[in-house]
Amino acid sequence: MKDKGMKEMSVRVSRFDPGEDQAPHFQTYHVQVNEGARVLHLLHAIHEEHDPTLAYRYCCGSGQCGSCAVRVNGEPVLACMEEARDGITIEPLELPVQKDLMVDLEPYLAVIPALVPGEDFVMPGPDAVEAIKPLRSCIECLACVSACPALKVISFAGPTAMREDLRLALDPRDSNDRVTEAVKAGLFTCTSCQACWKVCPKDIQIPGKAIEKLRALANKKGLTLPRHQDVEKLVRETGRSVVRTEPSFLEQVPEIIEPDGPVKATVGFFVGCMYNLRLPKTARDAMEVLKRNGIRVIIPKEQVCCGSPLIRTGQVDFLDTLMRRNIDAFVFRKIDTVLTMCAGCGSTLKNDYTTPFRVMDINELLTKYGIEPPARLPLKATYHDPCHLLRGQGIRDLPRELITQVVDLVEMPSICCGSGGGVRSGVPEEAAALAERRREAIDETCADIVISSCPFCEFHISEHTDRPVKNVTTLLVEGYREKDRRNAEKTT
Amino acid sequence: MYVYDPPYNKMRSAEFLDCHVLVIGSGGAGVRAAIEASGYGETILLSKTIAGKGGCTTMAEGGYNAVLREEDSCEGHYEDTMKGGAFLNDPALVNTLVGEAPDRMRDLLTWGAVFDVTDCSEVAQRPFGGQRFPRTCYAGDRTGHEMMATLMDRLASSGVEILQEITVIHLFKDENTVTGALGIDRKGGLLAIRSDSCVLATGGGTRIYDISTNSSSGTGDGYALGFRAGADLIDMEQVQFHPTGAVFPYDARGRLVTEAVRGEGGILRNAQNERFMSKYDPERMELSTRDVVSRSIATEILEGRGTTHGGVYLDVTHLSRSQIECRLPVMLEQFLKFGVDIRDEPMEVAPTAHHIMGGLRITPDGQSTVPCLYACGEVAGGVHGANRLGGNALAETQVFGKRAGEAAGKAKKRVKKIQKKEIETQEKRLSGFYTGDVLPTTVARSLQVAMWESAGIFRTAKELEKTLEVIKHLSSLSLKASGESNLAECCTVQNMLTAASLVVKGAMLRKESRGAHVRKDVTQTWDAQSSPYGHTWQNLKGSGIEKGGKA
Repeated sequence: MKDKGMKEMSVRVSRFDPGEDQAPHFQTYHVQVNEGARVLHLLHAIHEEHDPTLAYRYCCGSGQCGSCAVRVNGEPVLACMEEARDGITIEPLELPVQKDLMVDLEPYLAVIPALVPGEDFVMPGPDAVEAIKPLRSCIECLACVSACPALKVISFAGPTAMREDLRLALDPRDSNDRVTEAVKAGLFTCTSCQACWKVCPKDIQIPGKAIEKLRALANKKGLTLPRHQDVEKLVRETGRSVVRTEPSFLEQVPEIIEPDGPVKATVGFFVGCMYNLRLPKTARDAMEVLKRNGIRVIIPKEQVCCGSPLIRTGQVDFLDTLMRRNIDAFVFRKIDTVLTMCAGCGSTLKNDYTTPFRVMDINELLTKYGIEPPARLPLKATYHDPCHLLRGQGIRDLPRELITQVVDLVEMPSICCGSGGGVRSGVPEEAAALAERRREAIDETCADIVISSCPFCEFHISEHTDRPVKNVTTLLVEGYREKDRRNAEKTT
Repeated sequence: MYVYDPPYNKMRSAEFLDCHVLVIGSGGAGVRAAIEASGYGETILLSKTIAGKGGCTTMAEGGYNAVLREEDSCEGHYEDTMKGGAFLNDPALVNTLVGEAPDRMRDLLTWGAVFDVTDCSEVAQRPFGGQRFPRTCYAGDRTGHEMMATLMDRLASSGVEILQEITVIHLFKDENTVTGALGIDRKGGLLAIRSDSCVLATGGGTRIYDISTNSSSGTGDGYALGFRAGADLIDMEQVQFHPTGAVFPYDARGRLVTEAVRGEGGILRNAQNERFMSKYDPERMELSTRDVVSRSIATEILEGRGTTHGGVYLDVTHLSRSQIECRLPVMLEQFLKFGVDIRDEPMEVAPTAHHIMGGLRITPDGQSTVPCLYACGEVAGGVHGANRLGGNALAETQVFGKRAGEAAGKAKKRVKKIQKKEIETQEKRLSGFYTGDVLPTTVARSLQVAMWESAGIFRTAKELEKTLEVIKHLSSLSLKASGESNLAECCTVQNMLTAASLVVKGAMLRKESRGAHVRKDVTQTWDAQSSPYGHTWQNLKGSGIEKGGKA
């Protein structure tokens, strides 16, 4: 019976016995498992047929107890729910390893706060229960703790403890001041990179549904960081989250930019504060690429900050005003597609706004309508995935499709650079430490240049690496210029 | 602390700890017992897993039965439980259960449990099988998880010392009383704990079956430990097969598909699209008791009306998508992982070994028949009789966990002795595993298949005898530990063998069909209520079946 649908797989498993080994090493096993087997069953098969000393944890086998989280090809998963595949690498979570795949969960479980009942019992009403329930499905597998980049460089209670802090703050039965506790436990260290959410087997959106909500409650208590308050003041006064130090992009361009050739599409362009005021040249590069590729661009001049810096830091009072102004700016011009090139603005418009128009990132737009092939440049590039593009908008392959038309690409792991969530201004030493880790990863690739698709990442990383950091569209422009140069050479 | 030289140099010498109450097991009953006991003196909770993650409470999906409404009554809950249990239940235990389940629910709410509520902020309740009133309280379909999270919060502030990932391998005895327990950690280190009283809350043991809903810790450890310590066990033949377990993929067979699916309106159909429950229980249909639904499904499959995966259909596609998403989120998520969207297509299900109704004989205070040894939760017997109602187990963990913890806490302080010889015997047992020749996993696999094939839903004396021979043979094999970390595993497999033998012997003793126990080779002229038999019982000295029944 068991032979039916058996298949053989070859897997690499990280082995480590702190009593015997200096460092973890990989061992490859060839195992037979049943059709549809999970990673856990693969571990069982190794344990039963190859090595009974393989150490790993499991209990319920049905995704409910959170004992068996491991990393498969680097990504935290529940071994009991993740389908086993040939050729995978199984490693422990990025927590202190006890043996093989077993890690020390206890210190991280211990900092998850517990409810302290008040004197009078107040039964939570249906609204409170509905608000709390999504936060309660956590099975404390600690995949989020393993994946959190901030925890690698700074000590704080971690994503799931923050989740429980909000739950307790919403529960009328709890007697402690959870918001103040959360601030002390590191509420402002989260870069809102969303890594915790994306690895959560229960799909709990910790940054958006817990941390930002806690930051909003902290704001009500006057606990917002002074530097974040400054940004909010600036947005209220100028409509922008960045100070004007040079002519802005919006001041430099006409309201409509017609393409060179036939019109393939018309879009409204939402520039965002960083490209408008800090990196206007990059935004102009993007316009050049669009012009060359048949995209007609309408640029409403009355657009303002999308509000992302306020949402991420919990300062949401002024948000509705910003949203209305931005939506109106495009609706008045009957625009049905709004283009973003800032990953943060794009993620905000897509996820935090309810818009009557479609929002598209520039990587989506260019790959959808196709681009004139640029010349290849003799450079090796690496690509930094912006958190708000990769996890915020689910865009991974599209920028790579564009980049590889110009240069060779060497991959590096997708990890937050530290510029988001108000951390660059609020906790600069953490932002610097995360960028330093990016620098190390960039160095390992031996790439000549770094490409990204987010002004915050580009600006922040460029301060920490000696290599040029460029936007995807700047790279395309350079490819076009080289192409034009070569064509000019041919004709002369 | 007394010092001695361990006789076998492979073993590290045992460490000693003292406490007032020792609780073994970290599921709903164990943690509740520890919380209660901590009010009376130093309490240690020994957990085989990371506390809060092991056991079956955290996996329990459907709910917690408690009488909370004026239209409902404890008499009604009592009668439903007795009838569902084929009148084999101990009436005093049932009275305690139904009377105190509401109070223990209030404890959970006070400590922060987030149950679903009605628009008037009252705990919401849904219908479950075999009950005249919708009295099952729930937190979506992750009720047990919600309870465990709440209990762990409370435990953290109780002062209980929690010892993680220690497997208990022996209960110490002095004269007639239990004086503590011997545990083994992941590295093979021994830990001897002396206590004034000891609470067994080790949960159930349906991991002795090939297809089971239980977590890895459902290996019948408590039945084996209690039995070896001289306790009476009753009704061990009464094993509940939950009607709805997953049937594929192969390795996920048996995974629980909660009764809440039927509570919310799920319909059972065979491969010929017939709503077959109308043949077996036209009145209660899908919400008949679990024993009846399991037999009905098993019969449909045996008679060739099953699906290609060997199950029947359980369908909720007629329910609104929002009802499924809101009330059955875990089911939705689990089936999606296996490629089935239950909003659009039916599930395939078949019976799976779920719960052992039998266990240590206890008083309503959780006192076993051995002095200083208490038991609560699934390891105890008598509450559910011959068939447990869905929703009564979570209630049982709280009602009897609290009672056992309190009674153990009130136990007298005493001079606790551990005989040196007992530790030496255990060290010898463990070191024997280093020279064994059969892997424990191999033995466990053989046992599980034998139990499923011949001691499952339908039983005959002949098949049971055959199974007992298999168990005897497997017990005679010499288990092999490949390293210190495998010692506990060997002990656990021995526990599985003991528990399986108790189930099979109980099944041979009960020459009638009653509740979940069906003897196809016995024709009987009585129904459950007029049965001439009471509990089966087994202890180190003998075994038998009580006569005179409840009639």
